[in-house]
Amino acid sequence: MSLRDLLAEALASIRSQWVPAVCAALLALAMVLVTVLTVGRTAAAEATVQERLESAGSRTLIVQDGSAHENLTTPIVAGIAALSVVQTSFATSFPEDATPSALSGAAPAPIWWFQGNPADVASLIAGRWPQPGEAMISEQMAAGFGFEDPVGALTTIYGGEELPVVGIYRASGAWSDYAAGALAPAADGTVMRVVTAIGTSAAVVPSMQSQILSLISAQDPQDLRIVSPASLADIQAQVGADLTQFSRSLLYLILIAGAVLTAIVVLADVLVRQKDLGRRRALGATRADLVSLVLLRTVIPAGCGAIFGVVITAILTTTAELRTPITFAPAVAILATLTAAVATVSPALLGAYRDPVLVLRTP
Amino acid sequence: MPLTAEGVTFTYRRGRDAVISDFGHEFRDGTVTALTGASGRGKSTLLYILGLLLRPQAGTIHVGGISTDSLRDAGRAAVRAGNIGFVFQDAALDPSRTILDAVMEPARYAGVPRAERTSRAAELLDELGLAERAHHRPGEISGGQAQRVAVARALINEPTVVLADEPTGNLDRGNAETVLAALRAASADRTIVIATHDPFVIEHVDHVVEL
Repeated sequence: MSLRDLLAEALASIRSQWVPAVCAALLALAMVLVTVLTVGRTAAAEATVQERLESAGSRTLIVQDGSAHENLTTPIVAGIAALSVVQTSFATSFPEDATPSALSGAAPAPIWWFQGNPADVASLIAGRWPQPGEAMISEQMAAGFGFEDPVGALTTIYGGEELPVVGIYRASGAWSDYAAGALAPAADGTVMRVVTAIGTSAAVVPSMQSQILSLISAQDPQDLRIVSPASLADIQAQVGADLTQFSRSLLYLILIAGAVLTAIVVLADVLVRQKDLGRRRALGATRADLVSLVLLRTVIPAGCGAIFGVVITAILTTTAELRTPITFAPAVAILATLTAAVATVSPALLGAYRDPVLVLRTP
Repeated sequence: MPLTAEGVTFTYRRGRDAVISDFGHEFRDGTVTALTGASGRGKSTLLYILGLLLRPQAGTIHVGGISTDSLRDAGRAAVRAGNIGFVFQDAALDPSRTILDAVMEPARYAGVPRAERTSRAAELLDELGLAERAHHRPGEISGGQAQRVAVARALINEPTVVLADEPTGNLDRGNAETVLAALRAASADRTIVIATHDPFVIEHVDHVVEL
C-alpha cells in the first residue's frame, strides 16, 4: 500500500472514528501542557538560580596579604591576570586616607594604589584615566567635595604625596568597594596588598583559587586571607544537579502516564475495530499496513494535539509571563508525539496479529 | 489450476483434534464449488485457509500455480490482494465510506492507481446494477444490494479465485438468487468457492465438497 493511500486511509479512518483520535490528541496536549507547567517552570527556576549564581559577585575571589613578606609583587599580579580561568583581576594597596589639597578641614576619603586596567572596575564619566602620579576620584567623592569636574589634587595624609585629579569614575557592580574613594596607578615595583579576581564561571572558582595560591606560593600560609565563593560554587552544582534530577523524574512520570493512557485508548480502539482490521487483512492489507494504519490514526491526532500545546504555551508565555525557554515546548511536543507512537505499537501489533477468521465469522 | 489444496491439516490448538484433516482438492477454473457440511466441520476454516488467512499445520495451497507454503505475511497478502477475492456473510462494508470507495478497497491494498481503480469500480457497480448507488453509504442500501457490493469488491482486482463465506446467510430468497447469479456470472473465467449450508446454493453450484 502506498504511503499516500495509507495517509488517506488513516485520515478517512480518523474522520469516521473520531473519538479515539480526539482522546489521543487531548492526551498529547495534556502531556505538553503538564510538562511545560511543571518541568518547564522548574527548568526556568533552575535557569534563574544558575543565572544569579553565575553573577560576578559569586565568582569573585579576594586575596589579602597583610604580612611583611611581599607576596603580591608585580610579576605575581601579572601572572594572576594571565590565568585562563580569570576573567578580570585587579590589584590594589590597602587604602590610605587622602583629602583635597585645596579644601582644608575636609573629611578624608580612601585612596587605593592599583595595578591593572581601571576600565575593568570602573567607567569614566569625566576627564581621563590617570597616569602614574595622578589620581581619579569616584563620583560619590566628587559630589561630597562639590567637584563637578576633575580638578585640583589629592594629598595623602601619611605620605603627603600630592596627586592631580584627572578623572571622575563610577565603580562597576562587583567593584562597589571603590565607589566612595579615589584610585591612583601604583608605581612600578610597588607591592600590592589585595588581589581581586573574577573567574570565568562559578564552576572554575575552586580551580582558580588553587592556581592563584600556587602562583603566590606564600612563605607562610598565614600571611594570606582568602575570601572565596568556592562553597557557593559547590552549592550551585548541587542545586543544579538536584533540580535537573527532579525535572527529569517529573518528565519521565508525565510521559509514562501519557503513554499508558494512550495505550489504553488505542487498545480499546483496536478491540472495537477488530472486524474492520480483519476485513482489511482479508482484502489484501499486510500486517505492516495495519500496524502503520493504527500508528497513523494515533500519531496524526497526537501530533496535532502536541502542536496545539505549543501554541497554548506560546500564548501563556506572552500573556501569563510563563518563563520557559523558547525551544522547550516544541521539544516536549516532539517527545509527546513520539511517546504516543511508542505507546501505540503494542496495541497495533495485537490488532494486526489477531486471528481474522474469529473476527470475520458471523455466528 | 487456479486453486489447489494438498493434504491440508489444520487444528486451532496443539493437542486438540484437527478441524480439517488431510484435505485435498483441485478447484477448477470456470466452476462454482460449494463447501458444505454440518456446523463445526470446518467449512469457514477451510475457506480462510484457501484464502491464505490461516496457515495449515500440514499441506500446501497453490494459488494460480504459486505454492504459498514458504511465503511470508507480505507475500501471502500480495497473493491475496492480487488473486483472491473475499465475500463475507454480512458484506462487511465500511459504514463511513461510499459504495464506490468500499469497492475500491482491495485495489488500494494491491497498489492499483486511483484513476484505474475508480473506473474499474464504477464499471463493476454498473454491471451489478448498482451504478446509481455509487455515492451512497452502506446504511442507505438494502442487505441484498450490500452483498452485491461485496461481490463487486471481491472482483475489483480481477482475481482468479473468489471465496465466499455464507454469502446468502443473511438474505431472503430473492436477494440470495441475485447474489448467486452475480457469483455465477463471475465464474466464467475464475474459480468460485462458497462455504454454505444453504440448500438453495448447494442446488445451484457445479460441485459440492462435503466436509
